Amino acid sequence: MASLDYAYRRLVNTLGPERVARSEFERMVYSHDFASLPKIALLQWRLYPDFVALPQTTEEVSGVVKLSDESLLQITPRGGGTGWCGGSVPNRGGVLIDMRKMNHILGIDPDGRTVAVEAGVSWKEVEDFVEAKGFALPHVPLNAIGSTVGGAINSGSTGFGGLRGGSLRDAVANLDVVLPDGSLLKTASGADAGGALADLTPLFFGAEGTLGIVTKAVLRLIPKPELTRPLTYSFPELPAAGRFLKAIVDAGLTPYHAAAVDRDHFVFERALRSDTPEPVDLALVAVQGSKDEVADQEKALDALASKEGGAKLPPAVGDGLWRERHNNYGARRLSRGLMISYNLVPLRRLPEAVETAARIRDKLKLNGSVQAHLVDSTTAALNPYVLMDDTRPSGGTALGFVKRMGDAAFKMDGHPMGLGLFLVFNLRKMHGNATSAYSAVKGVLDPRKKINGGKTFEVWTKYPWPGLRAIPPPGMAIGLEVAAILRRAKPTRDRFVRAYEHSKEG
Amino acid sequence: MGLLKDWDYVEQAVRIPALAEVIREALIRALFVRDDRVLPASIIGDLNRLPPVTVKVKEDGEVRKLIRVLNGEESTVSLGLNAEDYHFFRTQLGVGRTREFGLTMRPRVLLTYDWIVPEQRGVQLDFTAYAGVEFAEDGHRAIAQVGALWKRLYDDALAAGHLVPFVPTVPLDFAIGDAVCGDAPFGSFRGGFASYVNALRTISPYGHRARIGFEEVANNGTAYDLLHASIPLASEFFVPVAVALRLEAKPGARKTLTYAFDDPAKVSIALDKVSRVGPGIQWVHLTDAVAAKTLRPGPAEAFAVQVSLGTTATGIAAKEKVVDAALAGFKAKTADAPNPFDAPAEAYRKTAEAVARALFVGEVRIPAKSFGDFAGKVRAFGDQSAAKAGIYGSLGSTGIVSAFPSFSAPKDRIKVYDLSKGVRAIVARIPGAAFTGRLTHLWEEEPNFLRRMALWREMKLQIDAAHVVQPLVAP
Repeated sequence: MASLDYAYRRLVNTLGPERVARSEFERMVYSHDFASLPKIALLQWRLYPDFVALPQTTEEVSGVVKLSDESLLQITPRGGGTGWCGGSVPNRGGVLIDMRKMNHILGIDPDGRTVAVEAGVSWKEVEDFVEAKGFALPHVPLNAIGSTVGGAINSGSTGFGGLRGGSLRDAVANLDVVLPDGSLLKTASGADAGGALADLTPLFFGAEGTLGIVTKAVLRLIPKPELTRPLTYSFPELPAAGRFLKAIVDAGLTPYHAAAVDRDHFVFERALRSDTPEPVDLALVAVQGSKDEVADQEKALDALASKEGGAKLPPAVGDGLWRERHNNYGARRLSRGLMISYNLVPLRRLPEAVETAARIRDKLKLNGSVQAHLVDSTTAALNPYVLMDDTRPSGGTALGFVKRMGDAAFKMDGHPMGLGLFLVFNLRKMHGNATSAYSAVKGVLDPRKKINGGKTFEVWTKYPWPGLRAIPPPGMAIGLEVAAILRRAKPTRDRFVRAYEHSKEG
Repeated sequence: MGLLKDWDYVEQAVRIPALAEVIREALIRALFVRDDRVLPASIIGDLNRLPPVTVKVKEDGEVRKLIRVLNGEESTVSLGLNAEDYHFFRTQLGVGRTREFGLTMRPRVLLTYDWIVPEQRGVQLDFTAYAGVEFAEDGHRAIAQVGALWKRLYDDALAAGHLVPFVPTVPLDFAIGDAVCGDAPFGSFRGGFASYVNALRTISPYGHRARIGFEEVANNGTAYDLLHASIPLASEFFVPVAVALRLEAKPGARKTLTYAFDDPAKVSIALDKVSRVGPGIQWVHLTDAVAAKTLRPGPAEAFAVQVSLGTTATGIAAKEKVVDAALAGFKAKTADAPNPFDAPAEAYRKTAEAVARALFVGEVRIPAKSFGDFAGKVRAFGDQSAAKAGIYGSLGSTGIVSAFPSFSAPKDRIKVYDLSKGVRAIVARIPGAAFTGRLTHLWEEEPNFLRRMALWREMKLQIDAAHVVQPLVAP
């Protein structure tokens, strides 16, 4: 392996000194993603990258990837860092490629209804751009402000518009990808071939940057709807809101977005912002279309909600929540961060799923919120979050929540989302006998495991010694299970969210 | 579909010194039509060889066992055949000699044409008797075995309160499996067939049951989306035995509207506009006069656009108004036409038989605005080629028409090749259009495409390291 100083000089020669960082502080910023990690994780992994590279062009990305053949440093690509399972943090240091300097919108094709963008641009920026041109994105990830186009593709994210406009996969026409050998690949043909002509685009969805680095994307567009109306309904309990979401699909309605949020979320938000609505279990539904269509859907939704004991809330509530729809995790400011557990569950089991999530949270004595939204006609996303208190030795045990939630999702015929560093043990549970086929794909595209290695089929550690170089993925599962057990054994809830506790007592 | 096998065969053939002098396109033609003036007799022999044994599958365990036998993990005795079949099986396959066996799935109905390189020595699987359909109790999900007829799935789903969102653009009597091992053109206004697939139940090349995707939920965030990437080539990596499909709720009200157009320019503009209309449209099909005559009795206009609406009972009138406005310029409208896919199974099958008489060369994907131009050129080409041309198409919300030119011509391989080549030439002159027929995969020499195919080939060799599922063949 070449020395780090040599590797640094080569990187600087490729990108210039202003776009290569190696200071302690900058490296620390990139040592975690949206999930807050206990410091004990540093015992296992070298989460701090050796260098942070900020390329501005596809050629520069390719150059950095090729340099790793000389330096033998691992490459970790990263978008907005809004992931939750360690997919975009290093496990053995190396070069972290922050794609956010590749943030240009390259052009819109109104006739072809597509927009070409660089991978580091945020979804919110793309959404604002296309709306100004009379178009809309059929699918927008939940964290559109922080999430980059490349990041969301790599995490296989769900979000707004799925039920109506299809999955994010359907909304992407073509990708430019720098493969682990440094070459550039266009994943689909120039004209829309509908998945024919050896289309490889879907392969990069959910790949977490393990197959290559997405540098550009061609996204499909739809005409901007005439009207968007957010509606909110309060329910006596969250499972009723879950039943309401299922009833929407059973009635053949296709709102743009439909989500269930529990009262605890608003308790947290109230501690931060005074204009937050009264805490209540509610459903937020956004309908789109012409005035007639919106009115028709609203009427149908009102009827469905009342069947489940729902009460319509004033329009101002819906408008406020819709405006803030991309700011869902303000509660992390109340503590030392939060853990989100993203899971997909069968829609028919959604009421049971939200109950299960609340039960697990309460059993582990955690403060958190249960949320869910519709993905398609069979699937709902269940994405509860819990607050962490890393100031106490027991803070990290909150990670056990993610393990327990994932197990519960499997039991309900669903699955947790994401693999990364922490959830890689789920891969075999997800794919069973087909796991070897997934392994073969990685073997073909990245035989030397240069890009984001040691995160999909094995868990690499920072140690170079045989026997300790990698741990079997089930080892991670055991660690998280122990965390959950410790958490459960803890006598009290964390006391750090005073506002929350006061509100509960009040 | 045998696409990788055909592509690999051509790639290897062009490197044979004796054939290297032949230009690629001429070689593909010679292989496709089995031209014995160009190719050596040994190659012609390979291309004319058929799988010696066909197994009619009744349960997936049979496929598992068969794979283990072909892999040499089990003896042919374990197949439980009677003495006569046992002897036939062993002699036909040449069991005991030093040779590899493969197996291939036989589609129930092929829209276009058979692949170039047939399975050389192995077994052909016939899934017509493996045709069960199971619906989820309280959700919009079906698991259809690959031999299940699409029409049966559609009818049973409606009876159970679901809607099968995808329909065949060319209404042949396809089985569900024809979309994964054949060329069934399923789709809807909102997406292609793959959008509605949650999972494939497969048998791996090692004889294990392997599920690709998740039957009950979408597969987001579970490592590479191998499911949706591989659907067009799935039967070359695994043996798919059942498909978990995402259905929708049966809408409160459904209506099929038929609009007649006599001007290609007007129909093109109208199609572009209607593709911008939001949800509520199930499918939009279009036919020219030739295709319309085959599908529907009575006089046929130059173009007919059929729109299937499905929404709430109270909202359907408003949706019809929106569609009327988008399709402005039509000559006549019929608002009470029956949904052609709701026809009784027997009537549907008869129509399918009539449609199947035509020769199809594959799918052309074309921007709606260019549809009239394309239709005119195909008609003129058909007249020149003494093969009257027609067009079946469906429109997607992306503004792309998926068009299937049909020709009244005998289905011999020379005619298929020449007509395919003609369609390709037409498509090359229309911006934004793509011809995705199987032959295009062999003709195409764009570097990115070749790279992608090479990656697929490598993935096949890794996933099917046992060389069992449609193994690649060297010329």
